[in-house]
Amino acid sequence: MSVIVDHTLLPALKQYGAFDIGACFNCGNCTAGCPLSKDDTTFPRKIIRYAQVGMRDSLLSSKELWTCYACGECSETCPRQAEPSEFMAAARRYAIGSYDRTGLARTMYTRPVLGTMIAVFLAAFFAIFMAAGHAIPSGGSLDLFAFVPEDLIHTIGIVVMVLVALAGVAGLVTMARQVGRSEGVGWRTVFGSRAAVGRSIRALWESIGVESLGQRRYREDCDADKATVPLYRRRWLLHALTMWGFLGLLAATILDYGLALVGIKATGTPVPIWYPVRLLGTIAGLMLVYGASMLIVERYRKASRSVAHSAPADWTLLALLWITGVTGFTLELALYLPQAPAWGYWVFLFHVAVAMELVLLAPFMKLAHVIYRPVALFFYALGRAPDQPDLQGGTR
Amino acid sequence: MDAPVETDVLVIGSGIAGLQSALDLADRGFKVLVAEREASTGGKMIALSKVFPTMDCASCITTPRMSAVAHHDNITTWTYVDVESIVPAGDGFVATITQKPRYVDEGLCIGCRLCEYACPVEVPHEFEGGMGARRAAYIPFGTAIPQTALIDIDACVYCGKCEKACPTDAIDFAQVPRTLTVNAHSVVLATGYRTTPVDAKKEYRGGSATNVIGALDMERLLAPNGPYGRVLRPSDGKIPDSVAYIQCAGSRDETLGVPYCSRVCCMYAIKQAMLLSGALPMADITIYYMDIRTFGKGYEQFYQTARSMGINFVKAKVARIDEQAEGDLTLRVEMIEEDGRVVDAPHDLVVLSVGMQPGDDPRRFINVDLDLDKFIATPEPKLDATLTSLPGVVAAGTALGPKDIVDTVVEASAAATKVALYLGPPALALADQTNLHVEVRELSAAEAVMAAGLTEVHGA
Repeated sequence: MSVIVDHTLLPALKQYGAFDIGACFNCGNCTAGCPLSKDDTTFPRKIIRYAQVGMRDSLLSSKELWTCYACGECSETCPRQAEPSEFMAAARRYAIGSYDRTGLARTMYTRPVLGTMIAVFLAAFFAIFMAAGHAIPSGGSLDLFAFVPEDLIHTIGIVVMVLVALAGVAGLVTMARQVGRSEGVGWRTVFGSRAAVGRSIRALWESIGVESLGQRRYREDCDADKATVPLYRRRWLLHALTMWGFLGLLAATILDYGLALVGIKATGTPVPIWYPVRLLGTIAGLMLVYGASMLIVERYRKASRSVAHSAPADWTLLALLWITGVTGFTLELALYLPQAPAWGYWVFLFHVAVAMELVLLAPFMKLAHVIYRPVALFFYALGRAPDQPDLQGGTR
Repeated sequence: MDAPVETDVLVIGSGIAGLQSALDLADRGFKVLVAEREASTGGKMIALSKVFPTMDCASCITTPRMSAVAHHDNITTWTYVDVESIVPAGDGFVATITQKPRYVDEGLCIGCRLCEYACPVEVPHEFEGGMGARRAAYIPFGTAIPQTALIDIDACVYCGKCEKACPTDAIDFAQVPRTLTVNAHSVVLATGYRTTPVDAKKEYRGGSATNVIGALDMERLLAPNGPYGRVLRPSDGKIPDSVAYIQCAGSRDETLGVPYCSRVCCMYAIKQAMLLSGALPMADITIYYMDIRTFGKGYEQFYQTARSMGINFVKAKVARIDEQAEGDLTLRVEMIEEDGRVVDAPHDLVVLSVGMQPGDDPRRFINVDLDLDKFIATPEPKLDATLTSLPGVVAAGTALGPKDIVDTVVEASAAATKVALYLGPPALALADQTNLHVEVRELSAAEAVMAAGLTEVHGA
């Protein structure tokens, strides 16, 4: 097998934040100390080695990039203080930039000023597009959809979802093909027989259910902070709350639209707090705001080794999540005030614009990990299945 | 205060570097005063088992040097002293030195050890890495020079048994520290090193797991006069079946603030592994290393010999040691040269190949510059590697940086030469060439008893 050596790999990775990986002398302390390095899925040393010797294809086809949860244990004990944990984060950014064919993700990551400007302009575009031609209604109560019609929001939402789905699927397929080739997993090993399909379904459940939604290894293995950090500040919980909150809100929004489609409840109809969709939205919103707020505080305080270094992209995602959550609750507050304030309309506009942007940019920023991590975890689960397929032809 | 002592050269430290410098200068006719912190000369080398790559018995080649220094007409040796200050004065230096109380009169003690046998107190023996025991009244170790007893006053229970046992009435509980002044023309700093503490890296459980020991402790286990007389593991006295060495356990590790290579650990680990192969023929011996650095004359051959003897060399940095039931240990490593999988390798006994760090900080008593890594700085590192920042002061051995015995002895001789050139012809102008040879003379009464005592103790 021939290997194409890309001598620009290390400089390229440096643009994504891996600052001193040349200091690594490959002792393996990081991998041996890693609570998640098990079986044949070991990192970070192997991945660092790929970077050092320019094995770009091997790097991008490594599921190990995404089985790391960045606890920072390796950086803590690295004898060269080469920050392997930070390297893994940078390599994931690089992978997001590489799986995306449009180049937008690369721009967002490597040119933070331009990236921020794109984010700001995009939100402004959504806001202007939605508000254009609509005056703020006068009247005693907030009539949000008289300001921006729900049909317009739904249409934009659907367009955004379709765009995101296209970009996400493209990235997912790119990654899955590369990882699959290196793992020796092809269509036949996934769908080839009844047994293969069963195995794949179990791996899918393991990946999306147990690991992604359930956060099992994050919770059980990356627990170095267990002794010192109270539960309400534990990394896995903050991450889980943010994720569950985000997914809950997404589900509530889609359900609300669905209810309108089937004619059960028109969008904007006032409903009591216990109304299932609203209840879901409220609880999810609380989770998201708490999780995102705490993550911001922890990152700002550099509270642990895992947040000792922050890239602009880390802040962008947290900021968008936090703004979405907080403006949502501010809007609720405005709706309940006896005298409807006019700023309620502007908060509404801001909320919808940032939420749209958050979803639209998902495949091009840190949020893309919701696409790539499950893919990696699927291959990981498949490789560990008891009736493991005969993984022939792997490149490693 | 006593009258100042005049000397040509003051040598600080009596490890192999200090001994060698002192002998080379004294043989040239200079008056030398050796000041030693411990109660015996010999430094770290006298505690070693055998030395690489020649596999000489360490005490067999160190004691002759210690003895030669003790008996040299041009050398005065002060043991158990603290150097308080050395300041330039005129074209020389004034040193203030404190003689710590031994609670035993050095002039009267004949080294018979009767006080030691009478003493009821037993404390862990620091010379044996804390593994054996010594008494509160004791002679530092079997081959100590001088063979003068001292009393560990912190451990002493003041029972008076030593006083009763002493045949020469040498026990003197009334001793107090004495301040001594030395006028010297030149100074040799041979303050040596200390090893990285075994508990420096918490992942290795040194200091808490009994069967995780430092390399100098293994030297004592391997020494013929060691604490157990053979290689047993400390926790339960089991004969180890599987011994692991962790290289760079205190060197090349920025988390410990020690970025440099200590230069000797690869070789001493290989040497100990070879000796263990002889001491424990059935045991598996594994050396976990990052790189093997065997750069000296005959060293690479030494390494290859060890490989062919069947010692396992595994390229891996041990991330963590976990203590299992009954004191057994597992080492978490990535098998880099196999398939990169992570394993918990079980072993009975783990030796940390601890590194060299600066010993006594010379800045405490003399104003010489230090390097970033706290060893004594050498302004001319290439062509005059023993000069320090202070004219008239040279340094030698591990006080300047990590090095092995071969390099230390060479450097000590080089330092002596630099001092000799600095001082010019000896002031004493000892044309009497007899000083260049060891004088044959009769043993004093004390020395005769000492010689007899040594035989007796070893016989017993």
